[in-house]
Formats: sequence, structure tokens, C-alpha cells
Amino acid sequence: MNWKIWSLKKSPWVFHVNTGACNNCDIEIVNLLTPKFDVERFGIKLVGSPRHADALLVTGVVTRQAAPRLLEVYRQTPKPCVVFAVGACACETGIFHNGYHVAGPVDKVIRQIDPNAIIAYVPGCPPKPEAMISGVVKALSVL
Amino acid sequence: MSDFLRLKERRIMNHQQLIAELAGIKDRLTGIDETSNNRLYLNCKAEDSFAVNKFIFEHVGARFLIATGIDAEDCFEVLYHFSYDQTGCVITVKARIDDRQKPSIESISTFLPAAEWIEREIHDLFGIEIINHPDMRRLILSDDWPEGVHPLRKRVPAEAAQEKEK
Repeated sequence: MNWKIWSLKKSPWVFHVNTGACNNCDIEIVNLLTPKFDVERFGIKLVGSPRHADALLVTGVVTRQAAPRLLEVYRQTPKPCVVFAVGACACETGIFHNGYHVAGPVDKVIRQIDPNAIIAYVPGCPPKPEAMISGVVKALSVL
Repeated sequence: MSDFLRLKERRIMNHQQLIAELAGIKDRLTGIDETSNNRLYLNCKAEDSFAVNKFIFEHVGARFLIATGIDAEDCFEVLYHFSYDQTGCVITVKARIDDRQKPSIESISTFLPAAEWIEREIHDLFGIEIINHPDMRRLILSDDWPEGVHPLRKRVPAEAAQEKEK
């Protein structure tokens, strides 16, 4: 295992991107940081800049307006990085399927610029905090 | 001093008095529907909607909730919803725009700044021209959205459908 992957898995720093979510997934993400779940004990930490991040936590369907911004955030994230598509909308557009203002699900948009992006899916509306932790564990264990 | 600032002088009306008060704009309305005892629809033409809204807001003293746009196939409708909090009655001013080619309606944000953004949204999504609006920039559609395509119209032009396919 090279040291980049080792350090990513040791303590994944996460940048949260909302590309058009209804805020429900975001509230569940905040829930992860409360004392009940407290993911910082696993070294998972929310950071304020994609340049500090090992992982992107993307919530919501990618709207036309948000798509170039999501790609810019992805470009600025140091590689290797993991993209977590959190919630039904981020995973496969959910109820916004074929909406007039939808650029596509998160994986489709990110693969436009990086076909080999590592993308993990956490479905649910919203996913439970336990599901998100399990998603992070699964994603990190296959790296 | 405008009517709006004379809050203390304004009397609190019950429902019957509220309906009687509407006599002041009766000649501008094409009909009044009372679907339940706290829901009033005031139908009018687009040209009269400004005066009716001003009357409901400044004279009756109802609170502006939101506006809605509707593409009713044969015409456009803009619905202005007001709440008369003293009785809990929701008053809807239903303005009918018959001109489908160049739909337009006068802005109410000149006396009601809270309506600015919803009027911009209606302009974006339905292409209804808002006359005398102070700031008619695009609000809700993305920056690269093609000009002149209004997604909530019933008949979306072919170009918009192609855009959607991409």
C-alpha cells in the first residue's frame, strides 16, 4: 500500500458539497458529528476547503448551475480522493429524474472529467448515519 | 403618509365586513369565488391586477404570502395570495393574461418589495413580462440556460426538449 492511500485511510478528511439537495441529507451528515455518532473518533473530519480534503461528500442531484462548480471542487481536491454520493438524488437523481434543470447524477458528472474516479454510493432518503459510516468503511476497505 | 403606515387606524374586520369592504374594487373584478369560509378568489384581468393588489394590501391590510404562475393552455394566470390574519382568510387575486404571444403584467413590487423575487421567478419559468420591475435579472435558471425558453410552460419549444436530452 502506498503512503498516499495509507494516509487517506488513516484519517479521511471530508469536504461537504451540496449540489442541489433538499437539506435532509445535510442534516443527517451534521448528525454524524454529534456526540451520538461522533465520527471524529475514527479520524473522519469535516474540513472547510477541498484542498484539505481526502473525500468529497456530495449530497443532492447535480443541477445545471451546480455541475461546473462540482467539477471545479473535484479538480481542486488532491488525488487520490473518494467521492461519496450521499442520498438517492446524488446516487441516481431520484425523484428529479429527467427534470429540466438536472445535469445528472453525481457519478455521471464527475466521470466527465475523471473516468477513473473512485465513487461510493450511499442510497437512502436520507441515508441513516449508520449507513453513511458503513459506506465510508466499505469504500476505505476496498482501496 | 401612505395607507400602509396607518396600521393603528385600521379597523379589524370580521369576515362579513371584509367581503363588504371588497365593494371598493368591485368594478375591477370579473368575479368573486368563495370556495370555503376562509378562502376568497378575486378574479380580474391582468390590466386591473395592480389596482386590486394595491387595494388588498394597502387598504384591506392583508399580508402578502406568495404569487403563483399558471399556464392554463388558453391563457396565463398569475395568482397573488394574501392572508388576512385577523380572520385567517386567504385572499387570492387571480389575474388572467389573455395574450399568449406577449404575456405581461404590471409589477406589484413597486409598493410591495417582498414580491420582487417571486416575480423574477415567474418571469424565468413562464416568460411573463413583468412591467416596471426594478431588477429583472435572471433568478432561478442556470447561467447557461438558453434565452427565451421557459420550462414551466405547457408547450416547451423543441430546442428546450433537445437541451434536456443532452
